[in-house]
Amino acid sequence: MHYTIRQGHWPSDLVAPVQAIDGVSLPDTAAVIGADFPGLRPVFAVEQGDEVAAGQVLFTDRKHKEITHVAPCAGTVAQIVYGPRRTLSACVIKRAAQATPRQSMPLDDSTDAAVRDVLQSRGMWPAFRTRPFGRTPSPDARPAAIFVNAVRGAAAPDPHVVLQARTELFAKGAAVLTMLTDGLVYVCQAKGHPLCPITNRVRVATFGGTMASALPGTHIDRLYPVQSGRQVWTIGYQDVVAIGYLFATGQYAADRVVAISGPLSESPKLVQTILGARIADIAADSMAEGANPVFHSGTPLSGREAVFLGRFDVQITATARPAPPRKASWLSATQGALIPTAALDRALAPRVLPVPLMRALSVGDSETARRLGCLALIEEDVAILSQLCTSGADYGLLLRQVLDELMEDAA
Amino acid sequence: MTVARPLWTSVAGVTLAQSAALVAPAVVTGLANPTGYAVVLATALLTVWFWEGLFAALRRHTPSGHGITTALIIVVLVPVDTALWQVAIALSLGVVLAELVFGGRGFGFLSPAVVAASLLVFSFPEVTLAPGTTNVALATAPGAILLLFLGLISWRVILSAVVGTGLLLMLSVDGLNAPQVAAAMTFCVVFLVCDPTAASATNTGRWIYGLLAGGLIVLFSGGPIPTTEGIVFAALLASIFAPLIDHLIVLAHAKRWKTADA
Repeated sequence: MHYTIRQGHWPSDLVAPVQAIDGVSLPDTAAVIGADFPGLRPVFAVEQGDEVAAGQVLFTDRKHKEITHVAPCAGTVAQIVYGPRRTLSACVIKRAAQATPRQSMPLDDSTDAAVRDVLQSRGMWPAFRTRPFGRTPSPDARPAAIFVNAVRGAAAPDPHVVLQARTELFAKGAAVLTMLTDGLVYVCQAKGHPLCPITNRVRVATFGGTMASALPGTHIDRLYPVQSGRQVWTIGYQDVVAIGYLFATGQYAADRVVAISGPLSESPKLVQTILGARIADIAADSMAEGANPVFHSGTPLSGREAVFLGRFDVQITATARPAPPRKASWLSATQGALIPTAALDRALAPRVLPVPLMRALSVGDSETARRLGCLALIEEDVAILSQLCTSGADYGLLLRQVLDELMEDAA
Repeated sequence: MTVARPLWTSVAGVTLAQSAALVAPAVVTGLANPTGYAVVLATALLTVWFWEGLFAALRRHTPSGHGITTALIIVVLVPVDTALWQVAIALSLGVVLAELVFGGRGFGFLSPAVVAASLLVFSFPEVTLAPGTTNVALATAPGAILLLFLGLISWRVILSAVVGTGLLLMLSVDGLNAPQVAAAMTFCVVFLVCDPTAASATNTGRWIYGLLAGGLIVLFSGGPIPTTEGIVFAALLASIFAPLIDHLIVLAHAKRWKTADA
């Protein structure tokens, strides 16, 4: 089944990277960043200065000690930084030049319990995010469906290129996912040959059109809307490969193919690196001489300024440093109002009413926002509203506050 | 975010676009009596900017110039021989009550121009608003296309208002004089009924809002050709109902998500 998405921006004015993997570019440091897991309070298993192997447990979640977060590469723990209320800010690893090869041994993937145990103890569990709320699922949760996002975003790597040499691992990973759910595993991809074999548990759906076609929120809305209290999970296609690799070889794979583009990159391209890589290290040779760029990790609309590659991101945009804000002109008020325009009506692909939702989010009315379907959305889905709205409000932030409130009520 | 924001995604940009759209009808209106017209325009601009400046000073904001659209709409609607103090009082009440007390452009739920024009007619029974003419209607067209292109007015509202008026006129009078009806309605429908802050904000709501406004136009005009007063009152009443319409649409839509967090 093919879905053409017409809401949102058409990807046109962005320089598309060359769709061929340029080579392996490993950073000097890599990090697990707390911003990817808001509210996560870690219990560290290592200390600053410890030597770690790739895939070794760094810390566990204080609430769910089964869920581990692991080192993306071998090296030494250079820095552990806490955020407010003992949350994680960052755990930085200084990469060792030579990693010791480890033995390859397939893991048991025959039962739900075995698969869960492996994913949780070997650091792959945080690759999943729940809908509603967009958080790491609890260890015993059972989703109604799992969505694999393999639709190419604007200026992002083409999954068909990335998966070319990894087809079998991807298929293996998708098969493993079927153990976790009673429902279906939906592989969402662009038109073209199916990325993995279609079985009675693995469906392939194709999406095309605007930039919204690459958002899992759009896929869920069209294929299996979040309703009646059911929970679905989302995961990126490169994490599915990593899961396939983990079960095939028993080893943790932190490989990540990312696109480097943006106005300051000389030649937009794909590089193979690792999770949490320091962006300046891997992007240095694609920047113009003497450029002093700001790096954004994530999609052009929802990316945030970052030092390290985000856990769920596959693209980096390099832009010029913004000039200090101009003085307000005579026409501009200090704070703008929300003026309903046709662009806002055409911005969201999930079937929600944009302007009433924006009004509910602006005043923090979580009950109305819930009735309007905000549970189907996370920050990246509403990023476009912040760009199009005359009020200049950050709807991602407002949505998160409302979702946090609803999550507390549900708990 | 690394994608640049277009100019019209700011309140200032919206005001600029609306002012640009208003220039042609305002100029066409002024051609008949340039001197008298210039005096009315100056009075209107001074009045709106005085109140905006005062509110900006009291609230310690940067002064804004959004009132220019209200002033331009009013100079098209009032005849040049209206007493200037009457124009000033009506405009003062309009911008203060419909806009500034709510916090400025876009925060209110009524169009300040509609409120000003209604108050002018309510308060001073001898004042009649200028009927819409073919020239003004023609001069409105390019601006209407610009606003439609920028998404600042909704084609759903225009279409449903036209359908509402047309249907009711066909039922109530024999022989619909379409060109005259269009000439009388165009300016007011584009700049009063379609005002984005006063109209409904959901697509289904816009159909209902437009039909309601179109029907009320015939009801309040009481003749085969809509009067400007009738359209102003229709726009006022329809925009008072707009939040209610939106609320009902939200309730109907919410059924879809009713058990979303069971």
